[in-house]
Amino acid sequence: MIRVRTTVNGVAYEREVEPRLLLSDFLRHTLGLTGTHVGCEHGVCGACTVLVDGRSARSCLMFAVQADGLAIDTVEGLGEVEALAPLQQAFRDHHALQCGFCTPGMLMTALDLLRHRPGAGDAEIRDLLSGNLCRCTGYQHIVAALRALRK
Amino acid sequence: MSDLRPKHIGAPIKRVEDPRLLAGQGQFTDDRAVPGALHVAFRRSDHAHAEIAAIDAARAAALPGVFAVYTAADLDLPPLVATSRMRDYRATALHPLARGKVRHVGEPVAAVLAESRYVAEDALDLVEIAYRPLPALVDPETAAAAGAPLLHEEAGSNVLAAREFARGDAAAALAAAAVRVGGRFRLRRKAPLALENRACLAEWDRGRRALTLTLSTQVPGIVHEALAELLGLPGHALRVVAPDVGGGFGGKASLYPEEIVVAALAKKLGRAVRWTGDRLEDLAATSQGFDEIVEAELGLDADGAIVALSAEAIGDVGAYSIYPWTAALEPVQVVSFLPGPYRVPAYRGRVRAVATDKAPTGPYRGVGRPAAVFVTERLIDMAARRLGLDPAELRRRNLVRDDEFPYRTPSGIVWDRCGFRETLDRALAAIGYEALRREQERARGAGRLVGIGIATYAELTGIGSRISAAPGMPINTGTETATLRLDATGAVTALFGIASHGQGLETTLAQVIADELGARLADIRIVHGDSAAVAHGTGSYASRSAVLAGGAATAAARLLKERVLRAAAHLLEAAAADLDAADGRIFVAGTDRSLSFREVARAVHSEMGRLPPEAREELEVTRTYDPVFGTTTAATHVALVEIDRGTGKATILRYVVAEDCGRVINPLIVDGQVHGAVAQGIGAALYEEVVYDEAGQLLTASLADYVIPGAGEVPEIETIHLDGESPSTLGGFRGMGEGGTIGAPAAIANALADALGRDVCELPMTPERIFRLMEG
Amino acid sequence: MKPAAFDYFRPDSVDAAVTALAASGGEAKLLAGGQSLVPLLNFRMARPRLLIDINRLAALDFVAEDGAGGLRIGALTRHRTLETAEPVRRLFPVVAAAMRHVAHLAIRNRGTLGGSLAHADPAAELPLLAVLLDAELHSNRGRHAAAGFFLGPLTTALGDDELLTEIALPALPPHTGWGFEEFALRRGDFAFAAVAALLTVADGRIAAARLAAGGVGEVPQRLGEIEASLVGAGREALAAAARRAAALVEPASDLRASAEYRRHLVGVLAERALNAAWVRAQ
Repeated sequence: MIRVRTTVNGVAYEREVEPRLLLSDFLRHTLGLTGTHVGCEHGVCGACTVLVDGRSARSCLMFAVQADGLAIDTVEGLGEVEALAPLQQAFRDHHALQCGFCTPGMLMTALDLLRHRPGAGDAEIRDLLSGNLCRCTGYQHIVAALRALRK
Repeated sequence: MSDLRPKHIGAPIKRVEDPRLLAGQGQFTDDRAVPGALHVAFRRSDHAHAEIAAIDAARAAALPGVFAVYTAADLDLPPLVATSRMRDYRATALHPLARGKVRHVGEPVAAVLAESRYVAEDALDLVEIAYRPLPALVDPETAAAAGAPLLHEEAGSNVLAAREFARGDAAAALAAAAVRVGGRFRLRRKAPLALENRACLAEWDRGRRALTLTLSTQVPGIVHEALAELLGLPGHALRVVAPDVGGGFGGKASLYPEEIVVAALAKKLGRAVRWTGDRLEDLAATSQGFDEIVEAELGLDADGAIVALSAEAIGDVGAYSIYPWTAALEPVQVVSFLPGPYRVPAYRGRVRAVATDKAPTGPYRGVGRPAAVFVTERLIDMAARRLGLDPAELRRRNLVRDDEFPYRTPSGIVWDRCGFRETLDRALAAIGYEALRREQERARGAGRLVGIGIATYAELTGIGSRISAAPGMPINTGTETATLRLDATGAVTALFGIASHGQGLETTLAQVIADELGARLADIRIVHGDSAAVAHGTGSYASRSAVLAGGAATAAARLLKERVLRAAAHLLEAAAADLDAADGRIFVAGTDRSLSFREVARAVHSEMGRLPPEAREELEVTRTYDPVFGTTTAATHVALVEIDRGTGKATILRYVVAEDCGRVINPLIVDGQVHGAVAQGIGAALYEEVVYDEAGQLLTASLADYVIPGAGEVPEIETIHLDGESPSTLGGFRGMGEGGTIGAPAAIANALADALGRDVCELPMTPERIFRLMEG
Repeated sequence: MKPAAFDYFRPDSVDAAVTALAASGGEAKLLAGGQSLVPLLNFRMARPRLLIDINRLAALDFVAEDGAGGLRIGALTRHRTLETAEPVRRLFPVVAAAMRHVAHLAIRNRGTLGGSLAHADPAAELPLLAVLLDAELHSNRGRHAAAGFFLGPLTTALGDDELLTEIALPALPPHTGWGFEEFALRRGDFAFAAVAALLTVADGRIAAARLAAGGVGEVPQRLGEIEASLVGAGREALAAAARRAAALVEPASDLRASAEYRRHLVGVLAERALNAAWVRAQ
């Protein structure tokens, strides 16, 4: 077992974990933050996307032990049910989610996109969302939500 | 005085589901923490067809952290058998853990129970299974031939079902036809691929001797009924709950071995047992669809009027007849819907459902109609080319006209009044068809491969008790029940047997109730996805929830409103006929006197003696709705596609959908369903294919190989709604969740054929296949 | 899909990493970005006894100009840095452009140059670029020329106790234009075929040419014959050169694409890449 000291959504945690424990499972089951979802465990679908030191990353491709000393941001840090962040509100306004399973990963990627490529047009938005698969929405309303936020 | 006309139905109201899902506070099955639950991992067959000679789990069971290992012999469960009254149907027995034989790669053979999924997977490696391989049956035409090895000895044949529909003498009419076009059409296997893998959690309550199964399912009612029987539990001792479910698309509309095993183990051990499938398991063992071969021919007269359609189809249905739909589900719908929205005087459609060593076929969005529409719409375009007619014009000449409704198709399906022609006209107008054809000519002149493809289709949605998705299957899909309850706080709880899993029914059903009852949207809560909610329900599939649950909600709300008004009349000392309700208040017409729902409910429930006994109203209503036949939904899709001459890559430049989906409850949600279904149709047309090799090994075993459209592969889709109320359903709703997947493969296939000037008879048209068509 | 158990060590210096690697008897794997390795672990297709996490070796994360128009890039440099760093865009725009094709944003945030080169996927962009640019790969044991570094699919000349430390990209001549063309099924997928070209043009004639193809052989390859034949030629020679490129490669067939189609793609992509390089060289 290895001791991990990490910050998640600004809160410091210290836990003992097996080296092979995936960051996605650490967040979901060790810390109880089940907002981050698991869709494939081989880095393709993007449902597990979180921010690591401010940059989007697939939590299914990292181990909890790697998070030692790093700052992780998950969807739970974005906003509350009673007080959604502007990004979440934009998703709601534009019906940019249906089943909601890809949504947390989509939001974290969108956050990275908005912070680091604020001028992105529709084509680039679609390009940057390419690593987040959605089976429900056909992506159109998601792009509309992000387009609205850019204005 | 407020405007009392309905104002929630038709409005783009933001979804009730969204805040929790956006904030990461959804409750999906794997999210539910149950300390002490045991985790299951399944050891699955790596042979396509083999006898199980021996299983030795001793080393696996001895691994620290492992609780036990189970095989079929340990569980002693009856097999799952999907029955049917169809003639020429052969049932197959599915053992939840394989018994005697395995019939597809990925079939569960042993279940390891451990303290964590990690340890359970460690133990999987240690389970020793000796197989005696049998010949793999991978090609359905070979499997259907006489003398082929049998997948199920007891069935006596690999042809699990056969069906024929006929009207008139199609062969003779074809022989005499002025124009004949035909082909061998191949639509290849698809995986529904919901983003959330299947998962279940079974918790046994020792005190009450009752089981709660939390299951990522579309059909809690179906699972409840079947599982109660399999486990020998009375219905009140089993509760099946679908919490937040991350998509289904039909892949979660059946009863699977995994949940039977998990539930049985929980009951046997008196503990909580859980299984969360991974993507490998999803690709190997979740039901698949669209695997069809159709040889079809269309005959027309010299003016382009259809005189006959004939088809011979084979559906590759995989290793087992899935419960409850049976292996006949998709194949039969291929041939029963082949005539489409057209006037077809003579028809013969024959299909065989053939078993092979692949994952079982089950419902997948569109079920048989994507294949049927692909075939028919291709034939129409081929005929138009032969006749020198514009493909839109040929459709106009053959679409069932308004004055011909209700129209009985050759398979007995009846189209009620629906805007077939209008969807075509509106879609073409929206894309600017005439101008687009001229632009296409200019582009062709410049050497570009640009094509326009049209697909017009009709589907039966909201089917009631007289229409069976698969005749004689062991469930009732024809009704849904709503229970509406007004409590003393003025809150309305509405309970249903449907199970929303992305389509926003918590919002749309509340919109219906708000308008019919006169309550405020915020005062209404929809309870769904729970077998305990109503006396009977099945779930959400087959584009039925808005029609059936919406109809039941409408009936129940109207009756509840009557009772509320009568109670209010008494309290307001007015005639009930002078009262109406809206926005949570009951008004006396022509005055400013009113009461809130809360005040009326309190008076009835909590203020003892406020109402005399004979004036008490029962403020709970249950209504079951049966649309009997269902209703028609139709659409026309038009796609503009360009093919890169060098690489063969197809890019969709424009995409328009004009659909008659009846009375729109929430246009945002309708648009979302169209976009998502079209995206899946694009996947079916250009990207997705489940591939097994000649030995029955699954080659598309990861998301790098089974490829679904991402944000860069789906264009902006323009949608036009014909807001035409269905004449057949209570509330006027039509179902519309599947339409996109039904129309898109055909529209894109036609666009590709138009771009290349070649016949497109196979989907998906990957760049490789387009390249070969260009070269060949 | 959970990985099999392993021990974990996180060295804080290159020396410590190398020592651990040497002591592991070939049973350890280096964990850098993990974007290729961790899926293999999750599928249990790889089961190392020890994972050596080199992500904290900040000394290996750098982009430095060598003063002569070339670059030295640390092995731990993230793909995202290669995509956006100004010196890379200025001196090797072909790299910055190619990086946009590498997988997806989240993968580019973690994936590293050294990791991609050591992993040696035949369809990956960075091995192709290394071969195009005559990169020199430095490790704790010495140097490897890119030309001889890739030995087969997922196989390189790296020894069991060897760790890539930095990659040197020699300067390109002035008036060198670049072209990079890749064909994949979807945005971000592995390429069916990729072609990269550099043309140095003077007075309307090609003074130097480089042409490399990826995804169509066991390793990325430079098409030396064609490069030599282009020297002294003009733009009109490009189409024929592209056809010869298609004839030269020996792709394999797989689930995604047949050998014939891949060969055809090389011809198409080579023509586009060469033409783009010509235009940029002006």
